[in-house]
Amino acid sequence: MDVLIQIVASGLTLGAMYAVATIGLSLVYGSLNMLNMAHGAILTLGGYICYAAIVHAGLNPALALLAAAFVCALVGLLIYFSAALPLLRAENFETNIFIATIGIGSVIENLMLKGFGPYPIPQPLAVEGQVVIGNVHIPLQNVFILGVAIVLMVAVAILLQRTSAGRAIRATSMNREAAQLMGVRVGRVYAQVLALSGALAAVSGIMISSIATLTPVMGGDPMLKAFIVCVVAGLGNVYGAVIAAIALGLLEAATQYVLGVRWSFATLLLLVILVLIWRPYGLFGKQQVVRL
Amino acid sequence: MAEAALEIVDASAGYSGRIVLDAIKLSARKGELTAIVGPNGHGKSTLLKAISGLVPVTSGEIRLDGSRIDRLRPDQIVERGVIQVPQGDLLFPAMTVHENLLMGAYANSDGLAERIDFVFALLPKLKERRNQTAGTLSGGERRMCGIGRGLMAGGEVLMLDEPSLGLAPIVIEQIYEVIFNLRREGRTILLVEENAERIAEHADMIHLLDNGRIAWSGLGAELMARPEIVETYLGV
Repeated sequence: MDVLIQIVASGLTLGAMYAVATIGLSLVYGSLNMLNMAHGAILTLGGYICYAAIVHAGLNPALALLAAAFVCALVGLLIYFSAALPLLRAENFETNIFIATIGIGSVIENLMLKGFGPYPIPQPLAVEGQVVIGNVHIPLQNVFILGVAIVLMVAVAILLQRTSAGRAIRATSMNREAAQLMGVRVGRVYAQVLALSGALAAVSGIMISSIATLTPVMGGDPMLKAFIVCVVAGLGNVYGAVIAAIALGLLEAATQYVLGVRWSFATLLLLVILVLIWRPYGLFGKQQVVRL
Repeated sequence: MAEAALEIVDASAGYSGRIVLDAIKLSARKGELTAIVGPNGHGKSTLLKAISGLVPVTSGEIRLDGSRIDRLRPDQIVERGVIQVPQGDLLFPAMTVHENLLMGAYANSDGLAERIDFVFALLPKLKERRNQTAGTLSGGERRMCGIGRGLMAGGEVLMLDEPSLGLAPIVIEQIYEVIFNLRREGRTILLVEENAERIAEHADMIHLLDNGRIAWSGLGAELMARPEIVETYLGV
């Protein structure tokens, strides 16, 4: 029983972090058909800004988190205006923006390398203490991460389902031309989505670095896993991505316990292959069926 | 004669340097039903897209109540009151019928509750289906939802692109009953239709579009009295 509690606690923490990392990626793909390869670098940038805000600027952790989210939202906007907007006007947008965001990600990573150096730095945003369930000691840090992730996921769900701006985002992701005919300014929606994605990436980066350490390349692994979650859920399906992220987090925690840490990533990749063979459009993706 | 709501003055438009519409000149008068008929692939849908700002107008002008709208973005054109119900509906399939109707009022949400009541009164099937996702509706219901969504926008000019396309005859009758009722209520309607016979009796003015040009304009009865035109251009 204790083992099960441990696996569930670790799995939920991992899943929550993957979910927050994935929501932004999935929103951007759903709206713009854009695989944002700079997502991992933005995530890392969020972690470093939070670190700098607490250590160098002396801000309290909550303000530091907001500052990181704000700056990364601005980076999202910068990506829209500097790369996505001009490339949207040309052909082969998906390929071009894929390559462009690899370049942008590389620039951000190198700036962080220059600014903070290559060595791991601990993230000062730490919650001390632990919760004891049975014989299992769960760090409060994990509970905090889970709580932040749940708040963010609920906030994003309310935004998408209950607000006019959220409906415009969903409408644009379903059919850009139809959204335009409803009066939606799709350029503004794209900018909003990239800004929101940047802010979510920042929070994700802060959470991940708070249980690991900060390095300029730390975003690579979570971004890869966020892509895996996106593919398993069905590209662009935000709600499916949250469920898939939690499920993959639990699977990873179970694999780490049963087979060892080195097998967890291989197991995830194997799962992606199996899902793609079984349902090429993802677990929650849908084939386009038109009724006449 | 009613004054023109929408005027298209020598407008040309097309995609990627290819001209599809060549110096089109026509107008949709206030409170009237203006129809554009013509064979498939001759520019009817492109004309509506050009009016909505989705296809660039390369020369000429499009005016709404005398003000140019051909340099505006699609969302600005919707805000001015030119609403299009596109061919094939282009509903938002994962949204409910109610959410699709709310999207119709995205640019103008004044009197939202009254407008929803109006649409549900006109299209009662939509009220029954209000919580059903649009992707699960039948073809006729989808078309009704598309028209309802267009009506939710309010707007001055309602443009409908082949509302009967792909539907069973009984459903087509229902759809056209709704359109002709709107006409009787004084809506300004610009209707694209392949089947001239279907709308000849009700249209105030018909324009025949052939190879991107207006080949003939006149009343419905006049068109039906010219069998050589109907046979040549419309294949009836």
